[in-house]
Amino acid sequence: MFSLLYGLWKYLFSKAEFHVLILGIDKAGKTTLLEKLKTLYSDVEGLPPDRIVPTVGLNIGRVEAHKSKLIFWDLGGQLGLRTIWEKYYEEAHAVVYVVDSASKTRFEDTKSALEKVLRHPDLQGAPILVFANKQDLPGAVNAEELSRYLELKDQKSIQSRVQGISAHEGSGIQEGVLWLVEAMKNNKRTEQLQRQAEAAVTL
Amino acid sequence: MGIFVSRLLATLFGDKEARILVLGLDNAGKTTILYRLQVGEVVATIPTIGFNVETVQYNNIKFQVWDLGGQTSIRPYWRCYYPNTQAIIYVVDSSDTERMSIAQEEFHAILQEEELKDAIILIYANKQDLPGALDAAAVTEALNLHVIKNRQWSIFKTSAIKGDGLFEGLDWLSNTLKSR
Repeated sequence: MFSLLYGLWKYLFSKAEFHVLILGIDKAGKTTLLEKLKTLYSDVEGLPPDRIVPTVGLNIGRVEAHKSKLIFWDLGGQLGLRTIWEKYYEEAHAVVYVVDSASKTRFEDTKSALEKVLRHPDLQGAPILVFANKQDLPGAVNAEELSRYLELKDQKSIQSRVQGISAHEGSGIQEGVLWLVEAMKNNKRTEQLQRQAEAAVTL
Repeated sequence: MGIFVSRLLATLFGDKEARILVLGLDNAGKTTILYRLQVGEVVATIPTIGFNVETVQYNNIKFQVWDLGGQTSIRPYWRCYYPNTQAIIYVVDSSDTERMSIAQEEFHAILQEEELKDAIILIYANKQDLPGALDAAAVTEALNLHVIKNRQWSIFKTSAIKGDGLFEGLDWLSNTLKSR
């Protein structure tokens, strides 16, 4: 009886918890985004952009957004470090892929790294939110153009959205995160991860 | 009274204190790193039996750095120093590929410690000046750093002899400690 009530209470009041990976090549602005997310969604003031150094490891941000608990994992994007990414796929609910929209010379690298992410079996069914970052810079391509270049729409099996943002100024981020939270809530992968987590607890 | 005044000044002017443990196998370079950070030069060291403790002031944070001896027989005593630790600096001799798996085992034993579960992890891939030293990605792989998912970690290539990378690591440490 107690467990029934507890279950009901949990169902009504507990917030869903999601793990979100922040990926992208180096200098895309992943950590700047993470710090901005902290500023926007928690009472912790994120680091100002000028204090951020290239990530070689893992940064974590825990925030509450749109009635959900989000745990962001921000991983280093330098070429040698990208091998670490896949070790985090299995437990991730979704991916935020950050692109420097003003750095056209690196679009190819960005696209091939993204394709590798999308192909990985451990990420199957995970929604992908592409942040076309650095919209505040002159010469930045907009979300539509970037979307066309990345050819995400052609991959019908993947739930995706491209959103223009400025991690520096904070514009566009909340819209994207709202989409991501909704996408994760109505997602088969989320159910699967939930079941796995419950199985792990009862073991 | 003097202590009181200095504490008051510290709170007023934002000097945070942090207790940091420097751990790693023997001959990884822990003591050399400690004194490189503290006095800024390379001092002649002998294998540490017991510990060295120094205060390093950096970026408005007073790091109380404990360097514990790394030999097999004294590693069990590390845990006496675990309570109230905010961060761990784990030092690896990147050129000692033979003992990398032992370094990995000791590291994961540290991660399991209940008293250290909130400590953030900084890894120094040390001795980069030596030929055959593994780079940051290779050390990451060798130490299985990716199993860490519930706390922040970072790895820096360092050469304690040349002084490379040490303060970059402290930058990360102080930024991360401040933003918690």
